[in-house]
Order: sequence, then structure tokens, then C-alpha cells
Amino acid sequence: MNKYLQVFKISFQQEFAYRVNFIMWRIRNVLQIFLVFFLWDTVFANPARVLFGYDRAKILTYVVGLIMVKALVFSARAVDVAGEVAEGKLSNYLIKPINYFKYWLTRDFSSKALNFAFAAVETFALYILLRPPFFIQTKPLLILGFLVSIVFAILIFFSLLFIVSAVPFWLPEASWGVQFLVTVVIVEFLSGALFPLDVLPASLQKIINFTPFPYMIFYPLQIYLGKLPTAAILKSLIVSGIWSIALWMILKTVWQRGLKAYQAFGR
Amino acid sequence: MDKVDEKAIIVEHLSKNFEVTEKEKGLMGSISSLFSPKKKTIRALKDVSFSISKGELVGFIGPNGAGKTTTLKILSGLLYPTAGFIQVLSYNPWDRRTEFLKQIALVMGQKNQLWWDLPAIETFELNRAIYEIPTKKYEESLNELSELLEVKKLLNIQVRRLSLGQRMRLELVAALLHRPKVLFLDEPTIGLDVVAQQKVRDFIYEYNKKGKATIILTSHNMDDVIDLARRVVVIDKGSILFDGELKELVDQFAKEKVIRVYLSKETDFKKFESIGKVKRLNYPQVVLTVPREASAVAAAELLQNFPVADLTIEEEPIEDIIRRVFRGEVITKKMI
Repeated sequence: MNKYLQVFKISFQQEFAYRVNFIMWRIRNVLQIFLVFFLWDTVFANPARVLFGYDRAKILTYVVGLIMVKALVFSARAVDVAGEVAEGKLSNYLIKPINYFKYWLTRDFSSKALNFAFAAVETFALYILLRPPFFIQTKPLLILGFLVSIVFAILIFFSLLFIVSAVPFWLPEASWGVQFLVTVVIVEFLSGALFPLDVLPASLQKIINFTPFPYMIFYPLQIYLGKLPTAAILKSLIVSGIWSIALWMILKTVWQRGLKAYQAFGR
Repeated sequence: MDKVDEKAIIVEHLSKNFEVTEKEKGLMGSISSLFSPKKKTIRALKDVSFSISKGELVGFIGPNGAGKTTTLKILSGLLYPTAGFIQVLSYNPWDRRTEFLKQIALVMGQKNQLWWDLPAIETFELNRAIYEIPTKKYEESLNELSELLEVKKLLNIQVRRLSLGQRMRLELVAALLHRPKVLFLDEPTIGLDVVAQQKVRDFIYEYNKKGKATIILTSHNMDDVIDLARRVVVIDKGSILFDGELKELVDQFAKEKVIRVYLSKETDFKKFESIGKVKRLNYPQVVLTVPREASAVAAAELLQNFPVADLTIEEEPIEDIIRRVFRGEVITKKMI
């Protein structure tokens, strides 16, 4: 276990070596949230208005909650993996007695810890600054459900990222394009990171619910906001649990094959 | 026990193919390869067999793209072999068992494992944890290695601020902290200046002697090979062309002898051309190269027809032979 503790430490130090980068990245996040916040704030200017089952407090909580959940689920160092595969840097790890997945999961956690700490501060500042009506969940079971859903969400995102990162085993030139499409465009859009998914037509929502995407942001927040009946909560947890396991297994298979095709380029 | 146990590395009938997509020249070529990629199989290694005893230091030489690095990558478990049997320290490298990985190291001259933004000591600490080196042993190793390689003062400097030579020596420390029993060195002196090269070479020699480590070294630098390896393996186009003592290689590959003549008086220098290739003409000294088998005849002719004060026949310098091997020149079918 000591191994991964050391990985966590060095990864943390590395983040600090790129202070400016990190701060820029956080600023980008905050600005994005501001934008979405004011958009919905305008739509719900009338406090009595309820749209798609959201009142002013809940929609604004959704938006603020996004900061925290995104920091937990989407902050990942493993975005570098595709590049490592393409450039042959993966070799450095393959010749060491360390599990590559656990290595990156650990690095992800260090990134998540740092991002979460910042997100908490940002949320607090935002709260002081804007004084939005804020919905605080008090039911322990819902909070527990929320935490469980976050764990699944982290696993789903990690697996997705790693599966996509395996593409350069076969197509070394394709690393960035594919990764960008999947992890940035598709995931952001379909996970609910831009808007709550229940504003979409019901038929479309049904289709999206079969994919792993909404379980990364949308469902965890729904559970927190108490918008789902118990049965729906359980269903979402089961589906996201199944996706976590399925994606993990796909990841393992894809990587097993990928490593056989690996050409350790560049050196 | 018996002989089998003394072998650190056994390779039998190893082959490795790579699938590559060929791209034609220019934009149109790129577009057409997008729709109908032309797959081509490159046979990087063809039926290669050899074995290496524990404690041996073997040099792999051959021109670019011969298959040296591919062999090292397969031996360290990075690449999946297409066919063949491989055993390193009684393990199959591809399984990448923890006990196996703890006993090997692969150092590639153009590759870095050090964390670029942090001082090297941080990477060392990480490796200590990864290889589960006991603290006391780690400190001993670190002390000894950083002394041998003269890097004590560099440990706490951000890696990106170091020169290539300094970095390479720190890379070696990082790779050897866990005291690997088998060491694969791929171009360890590439890009280093002469002084740094010598430091690294001396170190490799020491490491091999002291730790009874088995070492395979590939290099483009013939000094590396001449200095360090008694046994060499010559690879070209994925096949082994020669495997044996460096001395034998010279005997086998040396095609010419060098005749050095000291003249007693000036003469028509043009006439030397008829005897052999004139390498240097610096009166009173003339240096000629002649085919091995013709050396005695040439010497006799020189003594008879020229005002010779002194004459010596020497072997072709080893550097020249290896240089030719690197260029892929001497490699003919007859050698196999």
C-alpha cells in the first residue's frame, strides 16, 4: 500500500509544480459555473416559478453542486494515458512492479483531492458572493445514496477514460481526437454537466438512461436534491453499478489486447 | 546444479512481427491511406536464438533498425513476442511477475523515467516504494550509486534544470536502486560528451564486476562495446549474424591487413597504388591496406622493389571493423 501512498504524494507535488496551470483550470471552471448560474438565475427570476420540477433553490443548487461533483468525478490525471501509450512512455511503468491502473487511479485521487479542496472554497466564495437560495439535504439515507453514486461515477469515468486511452495502441495518431470527443464533448453533454438532463424530451432521456453517462453527474445530483422516489434511486444505483463493473471488464479486456499490440514506440 | 541453472537468459526461435500502416507521400496519400490503409508486416526479428550466462556482459551491435532494441524490449516484457521461447531468470518476461520485475531494469538512453518537474530524489523515493526496497538498503544503494556516478550534488535540483549528461547519470541511479540482477542497457551513452561517456562506462564495468549482474548492452558507440563486452552479438535485419568473443569477430570480419613501410629514400609514390590501397603517405612513412590473404606477397614485393628501411604488418584496427559492422558492410551470407 505504501507504493500508492508514495504515488499520491509525488503526484500532489507535481500538481504544485504546475500551479499556474492549475489555477487557470479552476478559473475556467468557476467562469463556466457563473455562466450557467446566471442563465438559470434569469430563467427563474420569479421565485414562484417551477420548471421541469425545479424551483429556483433546486436549480441553483444543481448548478453549484456541479462544481463539487465535477471536481470529484471529472478531475483526472489519467487524461495523460493516451499520450503515454502513443509516445511509448507507458514502457516506464510496464517494467516496474506496479499496477498501472492502480497507479493512475491513485494519481486521479490526488488530483480529485486537490480539486475538491479548491471546489469547496470556490463554492463557499460563490455562496457568500451571490447568496443564492441553497438546498441542503438532511436525510442521511439520501446523502449515503449520493456518496455511493459518486463512487460509481468515479469508476465509470475512470474506465471510460482508460478504454478511450487504449485507442492509440492501434492508432497512435488518434489519441487526442478520440479522447476529446468522448471525454469532453459526449461526457459533458450527456452527463448533465451543462444542464439537468430532465429538461430534455422524455423519449430522449430514456435512451440516455441506458448509457453510462447520466450516472456520472446527473443522477448523483438528483439523488442529493431528493428529486427521485426511492425506487428510482435504487434503479439508478443498480444501473450505474452494472455499468461500473461492465466498463471495468471492458477496460481489462481492451488493455490486455492493447498491450499485445503495444509497440513501445519512439525508443 | 547443472548448466541450465547458470543461464540468466534463454531465447529460442524468437520472432517478432510488427503491423504497420504505410502512408503514401503527401496530402493525397494521407487521405487515401485513411480510407484504404495499406497494412504491411515488418519482420523485426526472425528466428533468433541465444543464451546468456549469469554475470555475463554482452554487447549487441548492428546497424539502425536491426532489431537490437526490439530484443531488449521483449526480454524485459514490454513487447509480446510473435513466436518463440523466452526465459529470463526462469521467468517468462511477458507475465511481468512482480518478483521478475524487481530483478530487472531497462535503461534507454533516450528515455526518461525521472519526473521532469521535481528533483531526482523524489523519483528515487517513489522507486524505493515501488520496488519495496528496505530503507537501509535503499540508503546504501543511493549512497554508493550517487558516489560512483558523482551525482550527490544534483539530487535536490529540479530535473529540467540539469544537463543531459547529469540527467543520464541520475537515470542510471533511478534504474539501479533496486539492484537488478539483469540489466538491459539501450544506448546508455547516447548524446553524452566524452567525459560523461567514460564515467558511465566505468560504472557499468564496476556494476557488472561487483554485483555479478548480467548485462546486455546495445550501443552505437564502439568504444562502449570494445571497452565493456567480451562477447558480442551482431544483429542485422532481425537475424543474428555473429555470436561470440569480440576477438573472434575481429578474426572473422577483418578482411584487410595494414602494412606500414618506412622508406630509406624517396621514390615514385604512384607505384604503391599497384600493391594496395594507400591510406597515408607521409614520407618516410607509407601506410597501405591489402587483402589479408595477399599480405605476404605484398610485403615481399615491397621489400624487393622499394627502398624499404623497415616494414610491419598489422591487423586492421578493431574500431574500423566494428564501424563496418555498424554500417552493415561486412555482413555477407558466407559469415552465417
